[in-house]
Amino acid sequence: MDPPLKRLTLPASAGSIAALSEFVREGAAAAGVDTHEFGKLELVLEEILINVARYAYTPETGAVEVAYTPAGPHKIRIEIADFGRVFNPLEADPPNLSRGLADRPIGGLGVFLVRSMVDSIDYRREQNRNVLSFVFP
Amino acid sequence: MNIEPTELEKAVLLKVTGRMDAENAHEFEQACQGWITHGAKHLIADLDGLQYVSSMGLRCFLSVAQKLQASSGSLILCGLHGLPRQVFEMTRLIGLFPVFETTQQAISTLG
Repeated sequence: MDPPLKRLTLPASAGSIAALSEFVREGAAAAGVDTHEFGKLELVLEEILINVARYAYTPETGAVEVAYTPAGPHKIRIEIADFGRVFNPLEADPPNLSRGLADRPIGGLGVFLVRSMVDSIDYRREQNRNVLSFVFP
Repeated sequence: MNIEPTELEKAVLLKVTGRMDAENAHEFEQACQGWITHGAKHLIADLDGLQYVSSMGLRCFLSVAQKLQASSGSLILCGLHGLPRQVFEMTRLIGLFPVFETTQQAISTLG
């Protein structure tokens, strides 16, 4: 990844959703991402943030670090890192979307939505960090 | 997110506006649970003013619908559009709920 334009560190908790999306929206606007895609962008960021808080940290708390750089026409590359235990959300089994209401499992939809909305998403463990890198949209 | 309830003859209408995310989705589930405890069998969620819903919100819709179905009731969705509609479609949750364009249509199906 080229030197990122900007980087921000926030507490990994639901309370950071607004600040995280505001920060990245600014970069997305500068990169020329279609503003109609901003809702999806916010959703992707929220899902990743919440997964980090729940699976990389709980019961501890910690920080997430977000960085972005333009990635071609109207696209942005975003990296979200944390310092928690090893956690690769891309290893999660895909949710079964064909079950009826009574036995439809309640979890797993967040990662599914992220995968559906982003391009070329990758996970790497780098020193003591989990790093999720993807291009949007 | 704002939730404005209206008691109807055969259902409770919940007008949900704003953003439903991981920080506030539980408020929707609690509001629904409150009406279920109060004896409501059918809940109608008017989502015309809902701009955003993430997976935490989807969990709440699913969980409330499962509870209501277990007691022969239902969670009916109206006015889904934009990002919330896309999210319900991508996850194929949309087929699990009775879905109507308008609240009037939903109310008329309850007879």
